[in-house]
Amino acid sequence: MKEMICIVCPNGCHLKIDASKEEIKVTGNLCPRGEAFARAEMTCPMRTISSTVKTTSSVQPVVSVKVSQEIPKSKIFDVMDQIQSVVLDHDLDVGQPIIQNVCDLGVDVILTTSFRNG
Amino acid sequence: MNVHSLEKRLNRMLYKLYPGQFSVQVTDDSIVVKGFSEDWNQIVDVCQRCVVKNSSYHVVNDIKFLNHEPKQMLVPHKTSQQYDQKHYDVVIIGAGISGASIARELSRFDLSILLLDKETDVAMHASSKNDGEVHPGVDLPKGSLKQKYVVRGNRMYDRICKELDVPFYRRGQYVGFTQGWLRPVVEAFALQRRVECGVDDTRVISAKEAFKREPNLSKDIQFVLYNTSAGCVSPYGLTIAYAENAVMNGAEIALNTAVLDMKVQKGKIVSIQTNQGIIYPKIVINCAGVFAEDIARMAKDRFYSIHPRRGTDLILDKKANFLTKSIVSTKTLGQQANQHTKGGGIMRTVEDTILVGPNAQETYEKEDFSTYPEDIDTIIARQSRTCPKLAKKDVIAYYTGIRAATFEEDYILEWGHHTKNLYHVAGIQSPGLTTAPAVAVDVSHAVVERLRIYQEVKENKAFDPIRKGIPMLRTMSLQERNDLVRKNPDYGIMVCRCEEISKGEILDALRSPLKVHTLDAVKRRCRPGMGRCQGGFCAPLVAKMISDEYQIPLEEVIKSTDGSNLVYKSKKGGASY
Amino acid sequence: MKHVHTIVIGGGPAGLAAAISAHKQGVSVLLIERESKLGGILKQCIHDGFGLDRFKERLTGPEYAKRFIDELDALSIDVLLSTTVLHIAKEKEGYCLDVVNADGVARYSCKSLVLSTGCRERTSRQVFIHGQRPSGVYTAGSAQYFMNILGMLPTRRCVILGSGDIGLIMARRLSLEGAQVLGVYEAKPTPSGLTRNLLQCLEDYNIPLHLSHTVIKVYGDSRLEGVEISKVDENMHPIPGTSFRVDCDALILSVGLIPENELAESLSISLDPKTKGPFVNQYFMTEKEGCFICGNALHVNDLVDHVSYCATKAGAYAAQYENKKHYDQPVQVEGNFGYFIPQRIRYPLGEDPIACYFRVNREMKKAKFSLIVNDQIIYTKVFHHVKPPEMEFLELKQDLFKGAKTISVKMEELL
Repeated sequence: MKEMICIVCPNGCHLKIDASKEEIKVTGNLCPRGEAFARAEMTCPMRTISSTVKTTSSVQPVVSVKVSQEIPKSKIFDVMDQIQSVVLDHDLDVGQPIIQNVCDLGVDVILTTSFRNG
Repeated sequence: MNVHSLEKRLNRMLYKLYPGQFSVQVTDDSIVVKGFSEDWNQIVDVCQRCVVKNSSYHVVNDIKFLNHEPKQMLVPHKTSQQYDQKHYDVVIIGAGISGASIARELSRFDLSILLLDKETDVAMHASSKNDGEVHPGVDLPKGSLKQKYVVRGNRMYDRICKELDVPFYRRGQYVGFTQGWLRPVVEAFALQRRVECGVDDTRVISAKEAFKREPNLSKDIQFVLYNTSAGCVSPYGLTIAYAENAVMNGAEIALNTAVLDMKVQKGKIVSIQTNQGIIYPKIVINCAGVFAEDIARMAKDRFYSIHPRRGTDLILDKKANFLTKSIVSTKTLGQQANQHTKGGGIMRTVEDTILVGPNAQETYEKEDFSTYPEDIDTIIARQSRTCPKLAKKDVIAYYTGIRAATFEEDYILEWGHHTKNLYHVAGIQSPGLTTAPAVAVDVSHAVVERLRIYQEVKENKAFDPIRKGIPMLRTMSLQERNDLVRKNPDYGIMVCRCEEISKGEILDALRSPLKVHTLDAVKRRCRPGMGRCQGGFCAPLVAKMISDEYQIPLEEVIKSTDGSNLVYKSKKGGASY
Repeated sequence: MKHVHTIVIGGGPAGLAAAISAHKQGVSVLLIERESKLGGILKQCIHDGFGLDRFKERLTGPEYAKRFIDELDALSIDVLLSTTVLHIAKEKEGYCLDVVNADGVARYSCKSLVLSTGCRERTSRQVFIHGQRPSGVYTAGSAQYFMNILGMLPTRRCVILGSGDIGLIMARRLSLEGAQVLGVYEAKPTPSGLTRNLLQCLEDYNIPLHLSHTVIKVYGDSRLEGVEISKVDENMHPIPGTSFRVDCDALILSVGLIPENELAESLSISLDPKTKGPFVNQYFMTEKEGCFICGNALHVNDLVDHVSYCATKAGAYAAQYENKKHYDQPVQVEGNFGYFIPQRIRYPLGEDPIACYFRVNREMKKAKFSLIVNDQIIYTKVFHHVKPPEMEFLELKQDLFKGAKTISVKMEELL
């Protein structure tokens, strides 16, 4: 029996998850979203991450980025390694990818702030 | 009393108190106390008991402090040969208010002067960590050096602060007495101060009159001892100004430069070994504050001891400014307040903030500026007796300073006893800031007189007593402010929101004659980060400005002392850290 | 002197929404921002989770701000950047402001004013941490600026004091950037941050949360070398004999936010000691006629979506403001409330539902909110899982307040 707090909405239901049998059983949720959340957490938890990327500008030495979709929690640091290694040296707008298909996850790393070199 | 009978008397006294633990040996000029103890307060007590008032003897503490390894002086990690093999007419050790003011007064003469300090900036110890009161000298005993210089120093402040462009306000000092029956005694005291000590602004006023001007004083106060001449100044602001003016007039300042040893031959300092090379001085002035005794020891001229005494001051949010417009404190007779301070008080500083404190605590630590919760609580409790509306919740910052007291509790201003080219400016504690302008004049004259025995010393014809400070836009009228911004748009861009400090003012600080590129140095020169957010918003901005202005990487910008780097390099761009 | 109808001070999320909303009412608007870019603190809040209420999307701070900045640009609303307000004076009709920027000092007048000045962080000195003054003691916001804007690492190995959301978010950010977060210490017996942040920022990165602990001292005379941590009793006072040292190079503080109301105070507007923001009526108007306030300057919000909502209302009210004959009725507070906004109801009543914001004092599984007018309970609502870190919101019809001689609100636990 595993316990967790549902974070889908501010209700914060205290979920109890029984994964001892083949079928995962969730209790304590006020709505079906809680059950879905618990199942995802038990099988393949997904997360978004945001960070910054180094640039060649001294005015804007880094620019903020995020992954365009959720990635598996287990891949967070692999993606971070990619984010740490790139340097942005040209103008780029919000939403534009700086790394495409990062770690073959089918997800891009995109800018969340526009960058102007200079 | 001859040496022998004095020694006997002191030994008998100590034997009665602590049989077999301490002994005294009297030499030509010192009373050397020996023995052992685990208790620092006991050591201080024993040495204090050995003081012979109104004599030329100084107490030297040779008592072994058990179970405590003596802490080494903190020295900069950096070494260089920048000053190696350089010769100077005068080397001043210690760039506090004493050293800086003496350097400036000496720069009136055509001399090569080096002012050195182990810290990253001037005024890093007692000269920044005090309350900044310019004392009227009403509480000082007649006959002491402190008293000799305090009135003279106080009177020099208007001129000196005008020349050096340092804000100075005579706020007046109110010392309230809670026992009405004391009034005739205090009246007589005030008369004596006026007539005999030259503190001619001393008078006694009624509580009613005092409440009119200071409505938040405690209603327990029955009458007040009042001095109009009491003032306030930024102690580090004045030290920086003195140092900058000295530099403008040809003196050199070597920061991050620690005296590690000295070569003394035939009663003369031949050379000074520092982490930046070996320096050859004709005359050395010891302004080393809490380390004055250590310098004296290196110079083989140790005839006094310093016992450090910590004091903590609190800074209040500007919202508490209603508490006082001046400098207020209370006295109640019979209460065993520490006798070496007037018990602290509440004052309005030049920056228009309220400062509360200090307290006084003996310590063996010379450079531990830690604060303790008890300090805050005792200061608040003590000073609430003066202003009952004083509240802990208004405290936004606090700091500890360490006074460099001798056991005689007076200054030492004299030539070395054994080492002839050394002048001691030691034991400088409150009112050291007040007396500095006057002491600096006398010390510089003594040094020039001595040099003139060997060489011709001309006046420095190019000497300019005027130093221009950084404009303070927040104090200006809108018109003045507008005019200045029109000349330099940077004055219109705010970096520190709490204290309203512009980019222009910060750049002025970074470009001033004495270049110091630490975050605290900028803070001390134009106050960004001194306000209620304590630099939360502006510290990163100022750090970036320092990095841009001096072309040093951000990870090398320091807060204040060597090694106090603010941030580390990140792994970004494939970098490794 | 230039005249505009409504001046908005502060270009963070509150100011942006207020300016847009005031403009949409058809009046002239000027937005004054002291920094060189709009967006306020959102510029450095690069994590996501913003906008779930308003845009039904998980946006990062800069993206959330951009939505408003783009709209502001599209509407061609006047903005003064890098401009600081020096003084505000209340005139007979409206307000007069002196501002400074690189062009010099200028004077503006306006009929109504919106203060959206945000908040600041509490500092180490305000929580009375002792010791020397080494580098490496940062508020979470400063650490965030160093990291997210300047691209530097404020620490390699740190302790975080305070379990507020910014502290939790910084714990994750620092972990992502390769720094080690040894633990988050919280003086209170319950966490201050949102549950989702406890999970996603601490649990995901195996960062322990220690409740009922605080930092009492810092070690190190140049860079921080360690911190002394002590258990605290129920009054949050350190328990002697329970302290221990943790070696680290930084102490990051997330010990609370304080609404920044120096401008309001310069107008002699009194502050509610509970919210630390001005007392307001249902139009977000302070004690001074024509002076409105919104966002974190009014009270510290948990979500930016709430800030935008309240600011949109405040901006519109500021644009519509007319000094009509009126009287105000105080709202009395009973039971488990940390605070309740609005603190006053203005009569004559308007049409809009009244936006109410409150926090509770202690956690309750199920609680009943009651509105009591003239000693009659005329409205109730049940809330689930209320706790101090989470702000609660409800809207009440103005009709409910009709003919009120006394108004009070009550929060009681349902067992």
